[in-house]
Amino acid sequence: MSKIEKALNKAREERGNLQLVPVAGARPVPGTALVTNRVAHPETIPRMAKNEVRLLSVGDLAQRGVIQSQQGEDPAVQVFRDLRTKIVQQSQGQNAVILVTSVSQGCGSSFIAQNLGAAFAFDMGKTALLIDCNLKTPSVHKLLANASAPGLTEYFENPDLDIKEIIHPVGIARYRVITAGKRREIIEEYFTSEKMKHLMDTLRRRYQERFIIMDGPPMSKIADIRILSDLADWVLVVARYARSTNTQIANCLDAISEKKQIGIVFNEEPRFPRIR
Amino acid sequence: MLPEQIAKALITESFHSRRLVVGIFVIVNAATLTAGLLWPKAYTASTSILVDERTIIQPLMAGAAVATDALDRSKNAREVIFGRRIMDLVLEYGGWLKSKPSEEAERLTEEIKKRTVISTVGKNILRIEYRDDDPQRALRVTEKFAELFIQESIAAKAAESGAAFAFIEKQTQDYQDKLTRTEEELKELRSSNLDVRAGSEGEVTTRLNDLHRRIEAAAQELREAEIKETSLERQISGEAESTAAISREGQYRTRIGELQSKLDTLRLSYRDTHPDIVQVKQQIQDLTDGINAQRVRREQTKRSGPSEPDESVVNNPIYQQLRREQSQNQSTIEALTARIAELQRQLQNEVSRGKRMHSGDARLAELTRDYQINRDIYQDLLRRRENARVSMNMDSDHQGLTFKIQEPVSLLQSIVGPRFLHFAVGGILLGVLIPLGLLYARLQFDPRIRIGSAIAVAHKLPIATVVPHLWSRRELKGLRWELVLLTLVVLATIAASAAVSAMRFIKVL
Repeated sequence: MSKIEKALNKAREERGNLQLVPVAGARPVPGTALVTNRVAHPETIPRMAKNEVRLLSVGDLAQRGVIQSQQGEDPAVQVFRDLRTKIVQQSQGQNAVILVTSVSQGCGSSFIAQNLGAAFAFDMGKTALLIDCNLKTPSVHKLLANASAPGLTEYFENPDLDIKEIIHPVGIARYRVITAGKRREIIEEYFTSEKMKHLMDTLRRRYQERFIIMDGPPMSKIADIRILSDLADWVLVVARYARSTNTQIANCLDAISEKKQIGIVFNEEPRFPRIR
Repeated sequence: MLPEQIAKALITESFHSRRLVVGIFVIVNAATLTAGLLWPKAYTASTSILVDERTIIQPLMAGAAVATDALDRSKNAREVIFGRRIMDLVLEYGGWLKSKPSEEAERLTEEIKKRTVISTVGKNILRIEYRDDDPQRALRVTEKFAELFIQESIAAKAAESGAAFAFIEKQTQDYQDKLTRTEEELKELRSSNLDVRAGSEGEVTTRLNDLHRRIEAAAQELREAEIKETSLERQISGEAESTAAISREGQYRTRIGELQSKLDTLRLSYRDTHPDIVQVKQQIQDLTDGINAQRVRREQTKRSGPSEPDESVVNNPIYQQLRREQSQNQSTIEALTARIAELQRQLQNEVSRGKRMHSGDARLAELTRDYQINRDIYQDLLRRRENARVSMNMDSDHQGLTFKIQEPVSLLQSIVGPRFLHFAVGGILLGVLIPLGLLYARLQFDPRIRIGSAIAVAHKLPIATVVPHLWSRRELKGLRWELVLLTLVVLATIAASAAVSAMRFIKVL
């Protein structure tokens, strides 16, 4: 193991106990953030502490297919940490809106989006907000105890509904979600509406440490992807082992602006696990 | 794709399709074991025959008897054994024709040929191997093959020698006839041309040369005699004329002289008018006229040709001598002419004789050449005929080529052909290789992506990350059981294969 790798591992271990303190009036610069003091409680962002629900246990997270910081040696966890670092570097210290879409149905874009959010939430200086934009086959609500909690469709259809009413904690520190809400067939209008734009602007500007992850529909809904990619800073395209073809990937990439393409996530590569 | 990438992709894909891989492994093993059990057993019997041509007699007969060409003995043996006669006998002996109708004889023959291997070991040992599912029949058929091969070979050798002898015998007879004919022709030619003998040609040439020389000498003499004749003639005519003219003029001049003396004497005494002087003068004048007349006459004679000489001339001794010589010369000319004619006749005779000799010589040379060639060939054939006779006698007495069973017919200890163990081991190997091959084919031809780096190459976009499957505890537990089960299935398959092999080995199956 090289010195750099050792240092990285050490930093990774320590990150759970370190706080990145944002400087008032200035945006924190990733990688150069000042490490100040150690904290005992994992929830270090005070505004979130008051409405945090009971944190999910390791078993609950595993059941929901969400990575945990305790599984530091798990290759999947490391992969998501690396992906997070890559995005943070690309964003140059700014928070970012990341659209995660798959080249076809069943490629696991929701899994990637949920765990990418979890990876952001590992970092005590950052928060993650996952928005379920896959209104036809939503999945984010499964993270919640109350699956019928109001989500995007309710927000669009009910003018009185405030943004904070659709943001729900999921039992993971610094991790919030907006579910898809009730199912609707025609959804393009929602994403093109001013309200959607307003929602995204608000969410992005409100907290500088908040990284917003949009769990988008698969590429078969190409119009949705075009609209959603306009709202996002970066787009991650998810292809799945032994399912996606080059043609599908090419079609998907054609629909997305090259500037926003951060890369392709090759999901579900079979690897022999560590069986203890 | 790099080999490392292919290997990694194959491992990944094998894990991904582990149930399929194990399934194929089991199916392939089951199939090969079944094939191994159903595969007909085959027993091979073999025998070796020592083909000995170096018998004790052979060195004694070296150069006299010709050994059969031993090149590619196995090929010859194959032709003999696979011949219709032996194959028919073997079919009958092996009992095939009893169980199956004779229409299938052709197919059975081909099958037997395929199961029979004929090879040579070293220079003189011929090995016959025959494979059959019935060990007893394998033994019997191999034995029969060896026996029939020996019989057939000896018979073939004897027949070959006999045919060779018959052929040489016929050739000898032909050449004997030719030789006799040539001898007769020679005799006839010699009797019809007696002067045609060795050296005749040189003799004729000498004779011809002699005749030519003699003819030339005679011709030369003749030419000389003729020239002499011409000369004599000219001399004779010239002598006559000059003698006649000169004698008369001389007389006239003598007389004139005398008269001139007399005139001179008279003038001493008399004047010119004296009658004596006048008379003398008249006489002188007459004589002078006479001389002139003679001169004119001579000139005229010269112009008009010779004329019969007059008596005075004839009485001239020189003239007479010339006439004698001329007469002699004419006799010589006649003699020479006659001689030349005779020599010419002889020359003609010699030339015709020479021509006759030439044609006779050519024919003689031809006949002599034919005779010599035929005689040489005939002598050679006589020698060969005796050699062939010896070879034939040796073969008929089985002395030329002997066959000895070097190694009696025996059944090979192990079963030949693919053995059950081959099927068992092959099944395990194929059970591994076939799934890997199928997975490789899938990697090559399935458009669905299995190698992450291939995406980056195809779309010129970096792979953000490759996410492995996140195993939940339940999944891990299930995987653990699944892997244990699959391992057990593989082990059970291998154990089954080994067990069936063992049972087969101890002949339970």
